This record gives sequence, structure tokens and C-alpha cells, in this order.
Amino acid sequence: MGEINHECTCHGNPLVPQVVKVIKITQETPDVKTFRMQTPDGKKPFAPLPGQLGMISVVGVGEGMFSITAQGEDWIESSIKKVGMLTEAFHELAEGQEIAIRGPYGNHFPVEALKGKDLIFIGGGIGLAPVRSLIRYCMEHREDYGHIDIVYGSRSPEDLCFKEDLFQNWPKEKDTRVEITVDRGNETWEGNVGFVPAYVEELAFSPENKKVILCGPPIMIKFTSEALVRMGFAKEDVITTLEMRMKCGIGKCGRCNIGSKYVCLDGPVFNLAELDELPDEK
Amino acid sequence: MQLKKTDLTGALKILAADASVFVPGEIEGIKRFVLWDGESDVDLGGANTQLPPKDILFPCTEKMYNYKMGDSIEIKEIVEKPRQVIFGIRPCDMRSIDCMDHVFLEKGFVDSYYSRKRENVTLIAMGCTTPERTCFCDSMGLDPNNAPNADVMMNDGGDTLVLEAYTEKGKAVLEALNGLLSEGGQAKKDTACTLKVNMTPELPEKLAGMFDHPIWDEVTRACIGCATCTYVCPTCYCFDIDSDNHGAEGTKFRCWDSCMFSDYTRMAGGHDPRPTKKERVRNRYMHKLSYFHERYGQHLCVGCGRCVEKCPAHMDITMFIDKAAEV
Repeated sequence: MGEINHECTCHGNPLVPQVVKVIKITQETPDVKTFRMQTPDGKKPFAPLPGQLGMISVVGVGEGMFSITAQGEDWIESSIKKVGMLTEAFHELAEGQEIAIRGPYGNHFPVEALKGKDLIFIGGGIGLAPVRSLIRYCMEHREDYGHIDIVYGSRSPEDLCFKEDLFQNWPKEKDTRVEITVDRGNETWEGNVGFVPAYVEELAFSPENKKVILCGPPIMIKFTSEALVRMGFAKEDVITTLEMRMKCGIGKCGRCNIGSKYVCLDGPVFNLAELDELPDEK
Repeated sequence: MQLKKTDLTGALKILAADASVFVPGEIEGIKRFVLWDGESDVDLGGANTQLPPKDILFPCTEKMYNYKMGDSIEIKEIVEKPRQVIFGIRPCDMRSIDCMDHVFLEKGFVDSYYSRKRENVTLIAMGCTTPERTCFCDSMGLDPNNAPNADVMMNDGGDTLVLEAYTEKGKAVLEALNGLLSEGGQAKKDTACTLKVNMTPELPEKLAGMFDHPIWDEVTRACIGCATCTYVCPTCYCFDIDSDNHGAEGTKFRCWDSCMFSDYTRMAGGHDPRPTKKERVRNRYMHKLSYFHERYGQHLCVGCGRCVEKCPAHMDITMFIDKAAEV
């Protein structure tokens, strides 16, 4: 995948974080919040490429690796789902509080190799967060990329992340189509109901000149990948991201290995052909 | 050059003048490297230490930075550059430092905590004279008589130690000891391991294709997940990062971790890609014998035999190697 960018901004010691202020918190779903971060003197902490990661800490509680889902002139954002002790601490933060971050870590989506291609973004649940960094990048460099399809699914209409992007911002973009599905609808939901893999097959994409960027829960990635291969997509053209438990973020502490690769350093972005080369330990 | 064994204490005094000198010793009945006390006799012969000296460059708990919480957060990095000498380290443990160098100093990021210690350490190695029955370093491609990455290599010469400087740091050591050294010396360099293991050059790649082989069910059955193997291993470098809070301030530290523990890879939300001892032991053996080789071009097992000696369940990596070479 994309060449590894090791321009960490940690003042020479990659394991020491810099302090950032949470300047905005958006409640995306009942259990997902997006945190906008900025240095105390109003600057962007670092400029990640799409798909890259940040090790973010609630100081005194712990740190965890999260994708940087968006960035602006002077801020970066991560979306965090409440699943455990650390993420609960994130959800208790208030705007104006300080936290710490180190990074950017990992490789990134191959923005150069995707140029001139039609792109299909497929996200499931919180898996839209890493994909969103690339969608935003492509929107900012819209002339470099062909037609864009965004297929997104979540458990229920309430669980759809980034609703403003999904329903307002992205459908307005040139040559862009947004297709949303939910596992279970409700009384007001008029969109599609069904799992992402089936919905992708229903949408019957042709593989010609297309690249797919696919992120979501492991089971959704598995079945969607199989569907895409059945539809004729080459494994090299389906790009996804992996997750493992991480501590150091710089390929030293050991735990995020799959075979000889470290997900924090050599990943998180891999295509399906590359995943086939790794031991089946996902 | 040679140093009379009766002058060893004198030589250590010179080295200890401006550095902490670690020597083979004993604490609570366990043979391990200890800070030289400035007077005790040091026995460089016999079996290797039961614990490796890895904690000198990679402490089992290491403070990283202090923080203060409040309206604003302050973070202050902890920087330590101790001048240290490891005196009498064996070729297997020297090779493990080579492995650590790959991990902590290469592939894009330099680990500051390790590199500061590494730059300031002087490694004075000692060739083995009496291998243990569990020693198999020469099957792993090492020479128990020589450590190529040492600053100074010492070998037994009867009444003397025969010294050779391999690096600039090593030359400085010999210069400092000059008054105690004399020309000549006949070093014994014919030590060989008694335990021979069938570590073929093809094995790393062969193992990579054996991820789903039934051998793993068999060889992992005895494991009780106690992590002794990783604790005594000179090359096991996995670490955890955690914090120690005292009210509104605290310290971030890292400490040794073990891939044998159940929560090592378990993620928030409960998913664990290595849920049983089978996946964990497989990952450990594969890392030692295949993955590390693929990534860095050398084995992560140096043949010191400590895990074979210490495992309470009699797990034996040498038996695994022999078995895997045959299937």
C-alpha cells in the first residue's frame, strides 16, 4: 500500500504525546462522538494522510489508537465509539478540556494510485470513520477522481454516523451517489433495510476501472469482500483496514503483529491480495 | 592482550570509576547480572546467568514521562542516559542485543528510551567455557566463543583473560586498562554446545506455510500460559504502556508484557484474535523462528536454552524445531 509516512510530530521521542484541546464534540449516534482537537495555541497537531492513525490519550486514564477521520486548517478529528473503559472516559470529556495525542502513525490510503479511478466507498458502523478521511480528501481533490459511490450501513437509523455528511454534504457533491442501508429500520425509516454485503450485490457494481475502499466490523468485511470477488473485483482493487490491539504505535511493542507485519506501522491499510499473504489471524 | 585473573578486581575498579558496571552475580540464589559492589570477586566462568541481562538496556519497568492534570495538562519527558558497562555477557545474550537493536532502532522509528541506553553502554563479552545441557546457540548460527557485536571480546586463557577490542569503545576500554594488560595470551576458543538442534536454513520459510498445520495442537498442549518463557528470554521485547496516578499527577511507564497472557491481544469490545494458548504459543514460536527472520533477516531465538530449562510444563522449543524440520 501507500509508502509509510514516519513524520511523527513528537519532538524527537515518538512515545511522548503533545497536549491538545478538545474544541468541539459532536454526538454522532447514541454511542459515537467525534472529537475535534487543536493545540493549545490554536494549531493543527499534525497533518495526517487519509487513513493514518493517532494515539490519543485521556491523560491519567490511558491511550488508544484511532483513525483521524477528518482535518481542517487548524484541527483534526477522531470519532470514538464507546466500547470500554478508555472510550467511556473520552465520552465524559467536555469541550475545552485537554487531552494528548501522538502520531501520525501507520501507512495511508494510496491516494496517488486511486487517481483517475471510479471509487466505491463501503462502510459499516464506526468503520465509516477511516473511510471518511479519504472521502473528504477525494472531495477536496474532486477533479482527480472519477465517479464516487458511498455505500454505508449501520444497525439502525439511529446508529448512522456522520448524518450531516451522508444526507446533506456528500449527495450534493458532483458525480457522487450515497446509498444507505440499515440492518433494522424503524417507523420513520424509508431507506433500504438489509445487511451491507447483500446490498452491495444488489447495487450490482461493475468492476471496470473501479477501486473499492471497505471498512467495518470483521464479519462485514469478510462477507462484503466475498461478494465483491464474486462480482468480479480483483483482490488488488479492494482496499481495507485492519485493527489489532496496540500500545506503542511505532512497531516496537509487539502485540499488533499479523505474521511479520505490524498493523500500526505496516498497516492499517492493506488490499485483499496483501491480506491473502498474511496468516489467517483476523 | 591479556589480563591476569588476579587483576580482574583492579580492572573492574577502573571501569567502575565512571560507569555502573554489571557483572554475573547472584541475588536470592538466582544467578543474574548485578551492579558490581566495588570489591567482590567476579566469576566469569561456569554456566550462563539464569536471567539474561536484558533489563539493563530494556528495564522491566521504565518511566517515560511525568504529567500533571488540571485546567491545562503538562507533560515532561524523562530522559536518562546512564553510562553502563555489561561485563562478562555471553555470545547468546550479545546476539539478543543485536535483535533488540533491530527492533528498537530500525523501521522508521527510533525508540528514544532504548537508544539512549544503547549508545552509552559498553559491552564486554565473555566466551563460554562450560555450556549447559540446554545450550544450543551453535545450532542457531552463533559461536559460543565469539560475539561479533561486542566492544571487547574476552576468552579464557587459563590464568588470564584474553581481550580483543572490536570497536572504538572497546579500544578505549583497553587503553584505560593498559596498566594491567600484557601482550600475548592463548585463548581457548573450542567450546561447542552439546545439544544439537535441526535448525535448517529452510525452516523459517517452511514454518510460514505451516500456520494451519496440526503440529500446533500437539506442541501447545502442555503450555499453562505462565509466561516464564518470555520473562527469561533474552530476546522477548514486548511491552505494555500504563500509567501510575497520584491525584492530579502521575507517571507514564512501560513494562515488560508477554504474548502468553490472555489479555495481550484482547481488544476493547472483547474480540481477541489469539483467544487460546494454541494461537499464543504458535505466535511466539513463529515470531522466534519465522516472522522475525522475514522482517529482520535473523532468528529471534539465540539458543540460550533458558526457556527449555525454566518451563514448568516442559515445553521445549528445540523439540519443536526438530519436529517441524521433519514434518
